[in-house]
Amino acid sequence: MRIDPAVRQMTWYITVFVILLSVLMELVFLLLHRLDYTVLLGNLLGAAIAIVNFFLMGLAVQKAVDQEEKEARSTIRVSQTLRTMMVFITAGIGVLLSCFHVIAVILPLLFPRIAIAFRPLYEKLHSNKEG
Amino acid sequence: MLELAIGIILGCCALGAGAAMIAGIGPGIGEGNAVAKACEAIGRQPESRGQVTTTMLMGCAIAETTGLYALIIALLLIFLAPGRFVNILMRTLG
Repeated sequence: MRIDPAVRQMTWYITVFVILLSVLMELVFLLLHRLDYTVLLGNLLGAAIAIVNFFLMGLAVQKAVDQEEKEARSTIRVSQTLRTMMVFITAGIGVLLSCFHVIAVILPLLFPRIAIAFRPLYEKLHSNKEG
Repeated sequence: MLELAIGIILGCCALGAGAAMIAGIGPGIGEGNAVAKACEAIGRQPESRGQVTTTMLMGCAIAETTGLYALIIALLLIFLAPGRFVNILMRTLG
């Protein structure tokens, strides 16, 4: 299956932003003297779930835009349900196991939303560079 | 009596988690509608496919955050809250 350039570009953007915010989060933990291997493992798990979730959503959207209206609607609903289950199970494992820090697992799940909030700024800077 | 109190705490946490997950229905419906309209738009103007897909992705991600908030609340209520509440109860009872 060929990945749409728009999906690839957005996934890269989200990945870079999630990594940057993860480093920032680690720094905050370091400043609070709470940084240990559980935070690192938790952050790794949370960031991986956030990126994979976004990528799978991108693939679902890419598949849906080529379909009929009704079919596209059901494709997205099924994808959303399955992805929510995936996030629930993996984040649940992260919360349950003591080798993961709870906050470090949960916080990265919200990083893509922050990345999207900064997207207009990124586009403005990008267009200024080109112009 | 203590078992009853713990049972009520666990039941309330489970009910709360279930109620929180009702919010998970919204993003699915919203995303479905947005994609359906995007299909319509691409059908009318096929050359705008890339732009529509990018906008759609951002819109879907924003819509999904609501579901994620609910999911996080549910996770905390299922896995963390019962232990904390039971500890508070035990401390109160001595």
